[in-house]
Amino acid sequence: MEPSPHSSSSSWLGVLMVLFALLLLAAQGTELLKQTVLAPGSSAVLGIPADCRQDELEEEGLSLEECQLMVSVVRASLSSAPDWFRSLQWALALSACLAAALATAVGVGIAGGRARLNRLAAPTFALLLLLDVIAFVAAVNTGPLLRAQYLWPSLLWFFIHLSFFCALLTRRPGLENT
Amino acid sequence: MQEAPEVKLSLSTRVLHWCLAGSVLFLFVSSWWMLSLPLPSDTFTYRELPFQLHKNIGITLIAICLLMIAQRLRRRLRRPKATATRWQKLAELDHVLTYLLLLACCLSGYLSSSFSGWTTTLWWLVDLPVWSQENDDLNILFSDIHLWTCWGLLLAMVLHIGAALYHAFAGDSLTMFPTDTESSHQAADRDISST
Repeated sequence: MEPSPHSSSSSWLGVLMVLFALLLLAAQGTELLKQTVLAPGSSAVLGIPADCRQDELEEEGLSLEECQLMVSVVRASLSSAPDWFRSLQWALALSACLAAALATAVGVGIAGGRARLNRLAAPTFALLLLLDVIAFVAAVNTGPLLRAQYLWPSLLWFFIHLSFFCALLTRRPGLENT
Repeated sequence: MQEAPEVKLSLSTRVLHWCLAGSVLFLFVSSWWMLSLPLPSDTFTYRELPFQLHKNIGITLIAICLLMIAQRLRRRLRRPKATATRWQKLAELDHVLTYLLLLACCLSGYLSSSFSGWTTTLWWLVDLPVWSQENDDLNILFSDIHLWTCWGLLLAMVLHIGAALYHAFAGDSLTMFPTDTESSHQAADRDISST
């Protein structure tokens, strides 16, 4: 195949941006769904025992213990969350979804060597970094059960976004000439 | 015969491709989480929204996938006959496999749900037909097909993404990321004229 007219570094950076932006979209979309579904005061918190019918267990390939623990997992998440956590997490997940969709569009543009979208790239990743920092600080201020769930993914995404942000900053002057 | 030329894809094809990619990844990630939720009962309704959403997106993907297959066939008919290289043939095979697995995955999921006795209301608007009475054996059969076609789809996607990354690192031109040599306006124009 012929090399494309724009620089190959732009191409791979754009493609990687799209890949990670789509993965982030999937992760944050799931988080949004999670915060919508797991409401404080719902049946898991009320101490109602799990309803584990034998036919359902067979269908799902679950043991009775696993079925009972599924309720405990939800209960553990809700018990470890402060009052403000759900609304903040919901807002963060929604913002991250929108930023990830923007990052996908920007990544497609950069991979195609479109100068118009370059200007949006660094601010998009700065926004994602800011959201990662807020998510990390929020997770620090929850209980140990939620910290175990959220701290490591937040840190991982922070470094992924930081890598893209630095890469975008270092290639900017060259691209403005394209 | 000459070597198969590279085809620039239209705006609609690219938009559909990225919608499909995002949706499939979301379905994978969210399904791994939602299957850890308590089993459904009158008291525990945690699975209701995630499963309905999962089915809605899956059924919508069938339509998107069929549309993309139609676009692909139309492009193929228009393209002059040419000999494809071994890698182009493998890429074509991976595309076909991805489409087939995606269709099989979505259809088996819908059928499994249909035989489970749970109703499906598409985007909370349209009640989809229930194909039969509740049938545990068929539910488990289609559930297993759903599971294995999904793993197959994930594998096909890994190959697809791996190939895209390879071409990106190698500096080849990629049809999903058209350069400024063909603007989106031109692609959009071709879209309109072809409909």
